[in-house]
Amino acid sequence: MPSWPTNTKYISQSTPRVDAAAKLTGRARYSSDIQADGWLYGMILRSKWPAAKISGINLDKALQVPGIKAAITVRDGERTVHFYGEELAAVAGTTRQACLDALRAIEVKAQPLPFVVREDDAKKDNAPKVWEGAANASPGKSREQGTLDQAFTECAAVIEGFYTTPVQIHNPMETHGNTVSWTDDGVTAWSSTQGISSVRDGLAGALKLDHSQVRVITDFMGGGFGAKFGAGAEGVLAARLSREAKAPVRLMLTRFDQALAVGNRPSSFQKIKIGALADGTLHAFEMDNYGTAGIGAGGDSGGGGGGADIPAPYIYKVPNIRVKQTHVAVNAGSARAFRAPGNPPASYGMESAMDDLAVKLGMDPLELRLKNDPNEIRQREYKTGAEKFGWKQKYQKPGSSPGIVKTGIGCAGAAWPAGGASKSTQGEAQINPDGSIEFRLGVQDIGTGTKTVIAVVAAEMLGLKTEQITVKVGDTNFPPGPGSGGSTTCASISPTVFDICTKALQQLQTQAGIADARGENWFAACKKLGVSPLVVHGQWQPGLSADHACGVQFAEVTVDTETGLVTVKKVVAVHDCGLIVDKLTTESQVNGGIIMGLGYALYEERVMDDLSGVVLNPNFETYKLPGLADVPEIEIVLINMPERGVIGIGEPATVATAGAIANAVANAIGVRVSSLPITPAKVLAALGKVPPSTASKS
Amino acid sequence: MKAFEYATALSTDSARQLVADHGAYLAGGNDLLGLLKEYLVSANILVNIKSLPGLNQIESGSKNWTIGALVTVGQIEGHAEIKKTFPGLHEAASEVASQQIRNVATVGGNLSQHSRCWYYRHRDTVCLKKGGDLCYARNGENRYHSLFTGNDCISPVVSNLATAFTALDATAIVLRDGKETRMGLAELYQKAWENPTAHNSLNPGDLILKIEIPTARRRSAYLQASDKHAFDWALVNCAAAANVVDGKLSQPRVALGCISPVPHQVQAANDFLDGKILDDATASQAADLILKGAQPHEHNGYKVPLAHALIRRTLLKLKG
Repeated sequence: MPSWPTNTKYISQSTPRVDAAAKLTGRARYSSDIQADGWLYGMILRSKWPAAKISGINLDKALQVPGIKAAITVRDGERTVHFYGEELAAVAGTTRQACLDALRAIEVKAQPLPFVVREDDAKKDNAPKVWEGAANASPGKSREQGTLDQAFTECAAVIEGFYTTPVQIHNPMETHGNTVSWTDDGVTAWSSTQGISSVRDGLAGALKLDHSQVRVITDFMGGGFGAKFGAGAEGVLAARLSREAKAPVRLMLTRFDQALAVGNRPSSFQKIKIGALADGTLHAFEMDNYGTAGIGAGGDSGGGGGGADIPAPYIYKVPNIRVKQTHVAVNAGSARAFRAPGNPPASYGMESAMDDLAVKLGMDPLELRLKNDPNEIRQREYKTGAEKFGWKQKYQKPGSSPGIVKTGIGCAGAAWPAGGASKSTQGEAQINPDGSIEFRLGVQDIGTGTKTVIAVVAAEMLGLKTEQITVKVGDTNFPPGPGSGGSTTCASISPTVFDICTKALQQLQTQAGIADARGENWFAACKKLGVSPLVVHGQWQPGLSADHACGVQFAEVTVDTETGLVTVKKVVAVHDCGLIVDKLTTESQVNGGIIMGLGYALYEERVMDDLSGVVLNPNFETYKLPGLADVPEIEIVLINMPERGVIGIGEPATVATAGAIANAVANAIGVRVSSLPITPAKVLAALGKVPPSTASKS
Repeated sequence: MKAFEYATALSTDSARQLVADHGAYLAGGNDLLGLLKEYLVSANILVNIKSLPGLNQIESGSKNWTIGALVTVGQIEGHAEIKKTFPGLHEAASEVASQQIRNVATVGGNLSQHSRCWYYRHRDTVCLKKGGDLCYARNGENRYHSLFTGNDCISPVVSNLATAFTALDATAIVLRDGKETRMGLAELYQKAWENPTAHNSLNPGDLILKIEIPTARRRSAYLQASDKHAFDWALVNCAAAANVVDGKLSQPRVALGCISPVPHQVQAANDFLDGKILDDATASQAADLILKGAQPHEHNGYKVPLAHALIRRTLLKLKG
């Protein structure tokens, strides 16, 4: 079995991103920067009805708009649309304005249908049906273990809570989209994607082409969190427009589009009853959860399901359990995988219930966790984190913080079952006689530091500097790599690069006759290759990676009890991901995970209007995201476990944040805000300060 | 957006002529361009007024200061003398949007911006404010909406500067029908109280030229509360101005934004505060008077305690 080197120069150290300079100077060309020769803008016409029968779409007037080169419908014939924002038609033209004018010139014959956008409304018997012939609410899946009803009678403390989380919208820095060029030679797509291979296969399938006729390129990519695996409606439309217009078409979505139709994190409405014995041992757990994945669950998802189910009782073991989960369809955009699908809402609900139970038991909530968390790594992380955070010194009984602006602390745990490898990952390196070396992997760097990880592993293995390693990724012409989902990329590529390097050194030994071509012998060995570069193929190998990462986070907040404003002062995050490959990019993932979790805790929420069926906040003005002023001091403690091999970190890093913050808020003000996001309005309501409505309705 | 012509005016007279019946004045453009792009307003000509002489000046005076309509919000924020003389105005300016927006946003544009109601701004809803039949917010998502209104629309005025100027008893000098017309801040917004489609009292072609602020009140303060810590609209904002002599208030004025289609002020509260020594109880009583008659909707009741807290805190800031 191979093993990672110890006594390292690069691995587990901090190496800045190898593409940092390109990114900072603007030299890096993202998918949205691609300007292929003669390219056109592409845009999509979306349904302005949340439900309607579409009997006709007339493109004639759109095609007469100056500058418009193509206009197409998504499909021919009559159809039914099921949500506000569903794709109807698309246009390509020489300017943005021409496209905008063309979209307005398209005539759509539609007969609006009844619709429902709220989970509670959709569950009612007389609610409009999202899908004809099917109930909006699924029958529900139930799971039972032990003797629950009796178990509750045996408990010393039982609490009940109703914890809810909103639909969270995918908003990576770079929106979804592609530039697609369709010529007689085939299709080339520059895609903002987490999976160049899945986009290739998806485009080929939709366009009825051979896989070999489609090439997908992703040189630089501005972020993806689970919703950028497939070609997407926008990718297929861009390709069809390109064929029609005989020119490359760049179709990047707008923030408005993002809010409607690229997937989202499902909502959850968790009714939880939990009980413990007098010593704090969890004894009985009951949950009835429902949520919506919009019109469906995770079509075009990849990287983990997009359904509304959540793991329960999350990271804890309880002997007596009854769990029921139901999906409720509404007329709104579908869910897709979203960073650690199911886990942030599960953590928020369960960890809130744990703290409420600790209050009832009169126990320190950290003690309750140490008593019940079956995972040894997390036990260790809680102890390490509590020390760093100063839990013992800071902990006060809920609501006992004096004054108007109250301080509180909370903690929560995370698990991520995946994070392991895609075992079919391959790659190659070309070693030139001048000693230069280029790695080519058909993976994509979605901003996480994949290129840097490749350079770090290669430099370590070959005894070179990272600057000497050229890394090429993001091209389906390279040996196939994994989709970047499930936090699997790092664990897939690191052993692959290990294997390439091992084989390269073996072949250099054979061909050049130098026993150890590493380090100072490198150039001499390469020179002996003569005129032919050496191309070495490698693949993922067992024994160098693992799965299942954990993590715990501690949050300290202040809550202004007169304005309801929550300020997160500090987060201490303790995480493990096996062997840390590059400390700097790992920390960066944890920082990003915490900031995303902060948004989930305090700001983010898709707001639907039940009268018109539209998304009311399809922009960053009212779909609120954390800004710099909202970000606390973050202290990251990484537990390096080289013996486990490489494990991904992207997803576990965002799981515990919302639960920890919510618990800190409850600890500060002495009452639970049991609904995310925790806005000033909800804090003031929880404190009993909000008067009832007296205004007349229209 | 629809096609339009573009012209640069070098005098207010020519600006008015160029705008004619269907044009719009363009200064910072933050609000106007968004409105044009979303087809919420249309204009056949945009008249660039950035070159109009004299409107980008901040002039101090013993009785009054004048701030030209083209002065940017960032200039107010960065003006050391304003910070000293009208701290409430300085604070209001520094909370506007982001630094980038403050750098180009003008005083005139900030005051005349349209409603931010998400039904009004949505491309696919035709609400009362857009000439439709129904205020969607009344029955719908009204967390950001008004506690007071004189008509069926419940979208509030959100200009930070309007709140500060109201407390300072400022006057807008408006070019109307070829003449300079003086309008108090209450008058500048009165029409929005009565008419659901109005955002302020300006008629088509009216142009705010400058704001005159009396120096009579030596102290002022402004506070806002938002969902986030920066670059976010106020949920409620509050400004207060007064003199404090021997611990007693004189000429006090309090105004609030985001809870009414006009800057909300209550004369009875100002009268009550006059001559009072500032303390928690007094501030609280004033807040009660100011919020008397508030009509919370389903989702904005939190604005009542929030406004109450801001009024108290803003008043107490006047103590210095």
